[in-house]
Amino acid sequence: MILQGKRVALPPSPVVHRQFEAHARTTPDAVAVLCAGRQLTYAELDARANRFAHFLIADGHGRGAKIGVCLDYSVDLLVAILGTLKAGAAYVPFDPAYPSARLELLLGQVPDLALIVVSPATAGLVETAAVRTVVIEELADRLAVLPATGPDVEVTGDDVCYAVFTSGSTGTPKLTAVRHEGWFNLLNWLMLEYGLHSGSHNLVVSAFGFDLSQRSLMMPLFCGATQYLMASRNFDAAMAYRMLTRHDIRVVHCASSTLYLLVDWETARRGSELTTLDYVLFGGEPLHFERIADWARRPGNTCTLLHQYGVAECTDVATSYDLAGHRPAGDDIAPVGTPAYNTEIHLLDEGMRGVGVGEYGQVFICGTGVGAGYLNSTGPENERFTTVVVDGEPRRMYRTGDRGRVTEDGDLVVAGRMDAQVKVRGMRIDPADIERALGRLDGVRQAAVVLRHTDDGEAELMAFLVPSGDGLDENDVRARLLEALPRNMVPARFLSIPQIPLSPHGKVDRAALTAEFLDQYAGSGTTA
Amino acid sequence: MIADHVRAIWCRELQRDDLSPDDDFFALGGQSVIMARIQGAFLDELDVEVPIDQMFLNPTVASISAYIESLGAATP
Repeated sequence: MILQGKRVALPPSPVVHRQFEAHARTTPDAVAVLCAGRQLTYAELDARANRFAHFLIADGHGRGAKIGVCLDYSVDLLVAILGTLKAGAAYVPFDPAYPSARLELLLGQVPDLALIVVSPATAGLVETAAVRTVVIEELADRLAVLPATGPDVEVTGDDVCYAVFTSGSTGTPKLTAVRHEGWFNLLNWLMLEYGLHSGSHNLVVSAFGFDLSQRSLMMPLFCGATQYLMASRNFDAAMAYRMLTRHDIRVVHCASSTLYLLVDWETARRGSELTTLDYVLFGGEPLHFERIADWARRPGNTCTLLHQYGVAECTDVATSYDLAGHRPAGDDIAPVGTPAYNTEIHLLDEGMRGVGVGEYGQVFICGTGVGAGYLNSTGPENERFTTVVVDGEPRRMYRTGDRGRVTEDGDLVVAGRMDAQVKVRGMRIDPADIERALGRLDGVRQAAVVLRHTDDGEAELMAFLVPSGDGLDENDVRARLLEALPRNMVPARFLSIPQIPLSPHGKVDRAALTAEFLDQYAGSGTTA
Repeated sequence: MIADHVRAIWCRELQRDDLSPDDDFFALGGQSVIMARIQGAFLDELDVEVPIDQMFLNPTVASISAYIESLGAATP
């Protein structure tokens, strides 16, 4: 089974920041970004980014370099990103909401990291790292004397533009690299397919480290529209809703769970800001449609909901579906639709043969979006980037590990994983990553983490712990884990058990864990 | 008292009969969905928009109440 996206020719140099520069020339006085009362026009943002690019190049970090960015949402964040791209370098986002210990671990995973851009508010998070930090505010004098015109750096579509971390099955996060051509293709597809334009003003509501945030950050700049950023380190529904009320924002990109929070907020206060948006582009985890059904069916709701699917390894989004066509019956899973331009979805069985309509297979992604692979790994996970022969022709593909089928209407439906990876609030998480962090805590001999769903459809991580001593205090374990992992990765529930059940192959038997201990948990209160 | 009202909101949203002013929100099993509901209750019942970042920095009834009171003092 193959789903074929429309073939659309890209420019000879499909380079994302060139599109922004074209807007800076044609509409220099349009507002490019607004954050916490500060704003920059396209011409101002372009000039600042050019100066930052000259600084990087003069400092020895030109084409092919990797620049860490650990900044709160601010106009400077866009200066750093665009300046990095203009220098021909790639940026790596570091989320300042992460605990310092996690940032240290991630920083250590970037090969040849040139430097990390910080602000006075984030410098303390990474100061012990073995990498040079540059405080962007302190560069003002140096930048002022550099040219406001762009550096003469040739960048091609095959160059890496950014790299983001995804949870890895070995317990080590993987740094996955995206190419300019793939990012350009993604943004160009969304712009042309959904008619985004210079009035498609955007609000960023997702955390900086996510792949979807890179798209949300660049989409309005690709269209000539205004980017609205919130000076908040964590998602803030009240602030987001106030921004939607005050500004002419038309588009929001988010994880499904963030859409629920926004819809809950609007419903509780009988507002209408969301229903009058042009688009919400969302996905990243299974949609619990009942959470938004009443809101979606409200009379006068003119917001188009685009339910999307993709992986960071293949430039974020691979397919999209207009949810207006979804008429759920029973437990139907909402489709994720049809492929992006220049993208193919292949559904293959274990023998790498195509499956038929309605039959389940593994989802393979093929085409322009397939990324440059993992920068910090030469291990077996690189084999996910593979070559498959289709009609006698070898094709580069990414094996997602997701199970999918195609409906009679030709839409992709994704139903779970082939492996143990889970999705929590839009973040792809490998339980091994959490299990490793738990195993490092004093008093924990062994740990296993599984996903369960609460009655109202929330995905929730649950940890089973084998204590090495007299038992564990749940609150103490949680507090220590919060110092090591992002909040999304800290399990909601902990349960001490005598031993972890294993499969005949010696792996953790997650099904048996849940079956054997969940009833016990239900009757045990919250004691670990 | 703001602290009494804040504690009542926390008890309701965390589904607890009672809690101490110094109990940590996350140690009580608090999650982002519950935090957003508490933020909404602050707005609806106390008429104050408390930034989520402040709720992360002040994860107890005592500290977030003090923060809310400081807002009231700044803008009478």
